[in-house]
Amino acid sequence: MTPRRLKIDHTSRYSYSGVVQSSYNEVRLTPLSTPCQQLLDLRVRVTPQVPLYTYIDYWGTQVHAFDIHSPHDTLTVASSSVVEMSTVDASEPDVTWASLETDAVSDDFGEFLDYTSYVPSDGRIAGVAGSLSHTGSPGEAAIAALSWVGAELTYKTGATGVHTSGIQAWEGGEGVCQDFAHLSLCLLRAMKIPARYCSGYVYPSEDVTVGAAIPAESHAWVEYWVGDWVAVDPTAGAPVSDRHVLVARGRDYSDVAPVKGIFNGGPTSGMQVDVRLTPLA
Amino acid sequence: MRRMGDLLDGYSLAHPYGRNAWDEMFEDRGSPRPGTKALCDILQSLSGAELESRASARDRMFRDRGITFQLSGEERPFPLDLIPRLIVDEEWQELERGIVQRVKALEALLADVYGAGRIFSDGVIPRRLVTSSEHFHRAAWGIEPPNGVRVHVAGIDVVRGEDGHFYVLEDNLRCPSGVSYVIENRRMMARIFPELFASHRVTAVDGYPAKLLEALRAAAPPGVADPTVVVMTPGVYNSAFFEHSFLARQMGVELVEGRDLLCHSGRVYMRTSDGEREVHVIYRRVDDEFLDPLHFRSDSLVGCPGLINVARSGNVTLANAVGNGVADDKLTYTYVPEAIRYYLGEEPILRNVATYRLEDPEQLAYTLARMDELVFKPVSGSGGYGIVIGPEATDEQLASLRQNLTVNPRGWIAQELVALSTAPTWVDNRIAPRHLDLRPFAINDGNGIWVLPGGLTRVALPEGGLVVNSSQGGGSKDTWVIAGSSRRKAKAPTGGHGREVASNAPAPGSSLRRPSGLPVGVFDPEPGPSWEDPDRLHQQERQQQQAGHGQGPLSC
Repeated sequence: MTPRRLKIDHTSRYSYSGVVQSSYNEVRLTPLSTPCQQLLDLRVRVTPQVPLYTYIDYWGTQVHAFDIHSPHDTLTVASSSVVEMSTVDASEPDVTWASLETDAVSDDFGEFLDYTSYVPSDGRIAGVAGSLSHTGSPGEAAIAALSWVGAELTYKTGATGVHTSGIQAWEGGEGVCQDFAHLSLCLLRAMKIPARYCSGYVYPSEDVTVGAAIPAESHAWVEYWVGDWVAVDPTAGAPVSDRHVLVARGRDYSDVAPVKGIFNGGPTSGMQVDVRLTPLA
Repeated sequence: MRRMGDLLDGYSLAHPYGRNAWDEMFEDRGSPRPGTKALCDILQSLSGAELESRASARDRMFRDRGITFQLSGEERPFPLDLIPRLIVDEEWQELERGIVQRVKALEALLADVYGAGRIFSDGVIPRRLVTSSEHFHRAAWGIEPPNGVRVHVAGIDVVRGEDGHFYVLEDNLRCPSGVSYVIENRRMMARIFPELFASHRVTAVDGYPAKLLEALRAAAPPGVADPTVVVMTPGVYNSAFFEHSFLARQMGVELVEGRDLLCHSGRVYMRTSDGEREVHVIYRRVDDEFLDPLHFRSDSLVGCPGLINVARSGNVTLANAVGNGVADDKLTYTYVPEAIRYYLGEEPILRNVATYRLEDPEQLAYTLARMDELVFKPVSGSGGYGIVIGPEATDEQLASLRQNLTVNPRGWIAQELVALSTAPTWVDNRIAPRHLDLRPFAINDGNGIWVLPGGLTRVALPEGGLVVNSSQGGGSKDTWVIAGSSRRKAKAPTGGHGREVASNAPAPGSSLRRPSGLPVGVFDPEPGPSWEDPDRLHQQERQQQQAGHGQGPLSC
């Protein structure tokens, strides 16, 4: 069973060991409206209280930006959103390898083929990509690539950090959803299949009790293009379902980071993130 | 060979790589070109001793005024050649029209790239060209400049080929520098060679700061009747700092560094001893990557956090706009003639130098077969770095270049070598031909594009040299556009301008107030860089504007 309407409460709390005089921040916490989900309500609150400036960035993500100029030793960003979920018939697109090589694909999706610091080029991965490419069509090879990632990485928190690249996580053999996503992107892009990073939430339980909040976490998965976009969750080793709530897409984590900022003072001594998902229907 | 007076005796035309370079003063058979006879006659009437004494006067005055540059760690007076370069009015008018046309098309291209992307969907330019450019700043996507101008100042580098036509070598749409030298060169020439001006109708250049201020004010956010304009510099260690302070002084506006500015709730203020004062237009000479540590390099010490979002909200205008580099990249350059036809429906007035795109396998094969004849330039480079001149390269250099080109064809372009034109130049106590280029400056105020008559002529001082960078022994020439009878002299700055300056200047007695050094941090979760790292600050001040005059592009 899946929730049809979901309330998402996402609170980040930063504490500093010294007083912060000023800070400049951007948060990306607004679920997208897509054929699979509709944003019904959104509130973002920042403490200390300051005005928020919102805009849509290049990737289509809603950004809340703010700056604080009063001395503070904690910063809290709380977003609360309500999303209506719906199921869209999953198509199973596929293309030929030759059609991925065309100028049209590089024009439309070139950014999702480029390597980045989180998704670096790697000779060993290129070798894996080469052998997987021979297993069938791009669509089939992509599925094989994701199961390869699932076999190579073990889910473990604390083994990697926010700046770990997909390759570094692979070398350690352990990681979290961000690492699963980045390693998947390394391999898909090495196969010349356009692939992008997705951030959001996933409702973690089969049990849906209306009104009961469930603790959850920010989540990350990928989408790849084989004639159309296909969304998969490499951490779960499963397709993206109607329990996934999409917030942002980009080339890698840095395009979609939920909170980024720069501040005068500090340093940061603690960060606490709390995500709760509550089925409303 | 030719025979004339003492100093011009033996002036022989240059033949780089077996080509016949165009001489700006003499025709092939030695007679002065139209419009240059008066200058020619004066040069013949002078002795070497007279020219030497004027050269000493020049160096003394430049030193006194602090107009120097560093060469091999030594402060030297700015290398202005004693002999001006002449451009006759008919030629200038065509060049001017070509530059106006080009800047118009580049403005349209930038608006399209950071907007609807029509030129991509119409298949004129591949979208990949832009998305693969390191100067395509997605953070600038969605910023609408108030009067539509992104290229407030452009420097379009041109060279004259063997056929006498001007060719565009490079567009500079980020922070083109060198205009202060144009104005200082003219002042110097008027002092050391007053008699030359008596016999020539030289179009004035000192109206530039007023034109720039006018354009910056016109770019202010809507509804601001009396905008506050500032010049933003990376700091005193930047090679173009002289120009930054020069322009601020000439315009009568504050010169600020990043730490003098403060973004607060969607507005930008400068800190003065009288408190914070809102700023509406920032003529910034800080590179994009260092401008706003929230969006770009978080370790930047020369920027101001929050600027990009204030610009996005429309409360401040950044001049030039962020992300212009996508249109002056050397690969984009190859598409500019197409962009002119597409946006303006006109044929390009100025030609490009024949250039090959190496991503195209046929063009790559063609250039690999002619490596010893062509010039190879890195696409993202500026300041002449990394350029390989085929005829001058060793076999090892060509072999390693061949490897680079094959691995990374997107990273390079190849160009036909242009035998830069020459002009008589005072070197080693005689007058000899030296190769030169020209950087005219254009200002767009939203209503029209104005081109400063002339521009910065850079000259390669070593004999036969084609490298005009002052860091590599290059000098400059005062560049004269000789007004025709049909043309009025350039308008002097108007009287109304003085009032603008006064209203823009800080209140009497107030001065910039700098915040005390505080550590700065970045979330998630790297330890923050410190404001109190003078070495890194100075290094960043220097890093800015590599395209500046000190390290200008190699012109060949």
